[in-house]
Amino acid sequence: MTNDKPNPGARLPVKLHRRVCLVQTEDAILAEELLARKKMSQDIVGRLTDRVLLVRPGRADAVVQELQKMGHTPQVVSR
Amino acid sequence: MPLTDPASWSERVRQTLARYDEPLLRQVTGRLVRPRNQWPAEELIDRALAAVDNPAVLDRRLQDLEPSGRQLLALIAHARQPLWRLGNLVELTLALGQPDGLKPIFSLLEAGLLFPVLPGAMPAKLKSFEQWVGMAGSVGLSVFAHPAVAARALGEDLGLPELRSATAPAAGPVHEADGLEWPLRLSALWQQVKAGPLRRTQGGTFFKRDLDRLRQDPILSAPPQDALAELPDPALLAVALAEAEGILHEAEGELHAGPLPAAWEDGLARALESLVAALLRLESWDARDGFRVPAETTGNPYPSAYLLLLLLLARLPADAWAAPDDLEAWLRQHHPYWAGEDARPSRARGWVDTFLLGLLHPLRLVQAVKDEAGAWRVRLSPWSRWLLGQGEMPAPPPTFAQTLLVQPNLEILAYRQGLTPALVARLAHFAAWKGLGAACTLQLQPETVYRALEAGLTFETILGTLEQHATRAVPAPVIDSLRTWAQKRDRITVYPSAALLEFATAEDLNEALARGVPALRLADRLALVSHEDAIDFKHFRLTGTRDYGLPPEKCVTVEADGVTLSIDLARSDLLLETELPRFAAPLDRAAVNGRRQYRLTPASLAAARESGLTVAGMETWFGQRTGGPLSPAARLLLGTAQAAPAELRRHLVLHVPTPELADGLVQWPETRALIEERLGPTALAVSDENAPRLREQLVLLGIRLSP
Repeated sequence: MTNDKPNPGARLPVKLHRRVCLVQTEDAILAEELLARKKMSQDIVGRLTDRVLLVRPGRADAVVQELQKMGHTPQVVSR
Repeated sequence: MPLTDPASWSERVRQTLARYDEPLLRQVTGRLVRPRNQWPAEELIDRALAAVDNPAVLDRRLQDLEPSGRQLLALIAHARQPLWRLGNLVELTLALGQPDGLKPIFSLLEAGLLFPVLPGAMPAKLKSFEQWVGMAGSVGLSVFAHPAVAARALGEDLGLPELRSATAPAAGPVHEADGLEWPLRLSALWQQVKAGPLRRTQGGTFFKRDLDRLRQDPILSAPPQDALAELPDPALLAVALAEAEGILHEAEGELHAGPLPAAWEDGLARALESLVAALLRLESWDARDGFRVPAETTGNPYPSAYLLLLLLLARLPADAWAAPDDLEAWLRQHHPYWAGEDARPSRARGWVDTFLLGLLHPLRLVQAVKDEAGAWRVRLSPWSRWLLGQGEMPAPPPTFAQTLLVQPNLEILAYRQGLTPALVARLAHFAAWKGLGAACTLQLQPETVYRALEAGLTFETILGTLEQHATRAVPAPVIDSLRTWAQKRDRITVYPSAALLEFATAEDLNEALARGVPALRLADRLALVSHEDAIDFKHFRLTGTRDYGLPPEKCVTVEADGVTLSIDLARSDLLLETELPRFAAPLDRAAVNGRRQYRLTPASLAAARESGLTVAGMETWFGQRTGGPLSPAARLLLGTAQAAPAELRRHLVLHVPTPELADGLVQWPETRALIEERLGPTALAVSDENAPRLREQLVLLGIRLSP
């Protein structure tokens, strides 16, 4: 029987995805609403989870603007 | 850069000296430091900076100067503006009666007491100050003095006259403003520009739409509340001041809003100090004509005239009054721009009373009173005497903490006597200015509250500000609205440049979180860190890195069948994992080296086509991800629906012994017409009806057909 628990203190193997642009919504329905918006869906390349959308690189500003046009007030975590 | 922060100016001196060529550096530091040894260049710069911090050394060096050099430094010290256009300093020197405006400036440069502002892109180190003067372009030249150096020259007699008014002031009230008008206007402009940048034309003016927007703005275009004379283009003055203050900054032909000045947090005195320094750097506005195109302002003479006016007033005893006309007359006689018989008639129109009564009075820099004939007389306020180095900083005006009336309709009434620059800045972040007056009005709006939250304020801090300064309890509907708007912002979070950690197992992710890695779990194996800087990599062994700011990585191999795609998991990214399922079906089995595999199938590609995928899109994807063209099999599957109908028919196949013989039969006109198509190197298709004639031709050629 194998033990899946990592060795405490050992370095954990991980793949790093840098400079990823994501949109996280409060709930899955809101994510659906965003995906249903045609202009928004062009900039969203995929859905990582039911609440997390992956945005096309370099399109963050356009997505924020589109969200604001939709009447949302997104929290932009820039630093 | 903070105006009087010695550290930042010392650093600027260091950077400038480092760009001097060594002979020039030795010449300049030789005058300032007087080294007894041959020190290396770095050591000389360090010693020059030490000399700048040493008042005794500075006093000795100042005594070595001609009086005109000391006067120039004294002017800079009075102004509290270390950075000056060269042209303005020349004007000041000439106005003080020196025959050569450049000579004292060169003396100071050579003595290491004044420094040139060097252009960012300079091919080589500066060899001489004459070379620097030759660099003058459309933007002109500037110089700066370290504030500590200039301060030692304070007290130097400038030789200015006492222009006391001949008539006594009437018994009427002395007018002194509260000094808040321009912080209020600048914060209103800041809100305007936050909502949309101002666009500049190549000529340096504004696009008509933006110019109209500024000139028609009810707050910015209205005369200042305390103005005793009408200012030309007050909205454009606000823009010019905001640019000089750093509230607006230009990027790619647009003016964008930066932060409101940090000096505002330190009280009225520091806010006024910062505004006066900005006034002496104005580029695109003057007190006579208002807006002026910045590109044409290489010789803007007004900042030097503004300083001279202040210093003329400073020559008077604190209780003496001056007539604006007398000041203007002196200026016309001594300032090189207006003096002389060749001065253009267009320059004859007076502007000094506009400047003093329309601008300096609302800035709380001058007090005004009417004389018996009804004409205005002015004198410096205690605030400007302090600014000019002639007195202690006045005690801050008494403040009334409870100065806001927050109304249920989300309107805020701000009584001016309780406002401070810091409160003006705070209010400007979360409420829109609607009117300025003795009682200013603001409106709480979703957009303004959102802007405040984006700037780092929270529901609690906004409410705290209102509660701290409100004259009565903040109405419940206002609190509810603020809370609703703040919560609405929490519904969607955008991470423009996050780092994602993809773990091999869910247990690894749990372990990382247990070790305190500041990550947010997104899925079983995925965690988000808002910025890569926050990751402590001592916990991790990187199995792969993917930067989404770079072009897509080639990480897919097309197998020999043309439809199986193998993914190199170490180089793949999340984009790929969301792209592939759109047109390929995952395979359960793992291929060699544990690569993940997908397969293109007629069904997967049909679904992709229905969702908008095009052949061109697939070709681009294959180019980016596999480095090769779309495979024929994939093209076959993609093109199935659109290809012409296939035909299944019988053929006779002529097999010849060599490809050369097949080539000859296909080329010779007598047989070419009888051959339907070439199926391979030695196989030729022939229809039933042509078979007898082909047989005859083959006999003619001596080719024997086996039965």
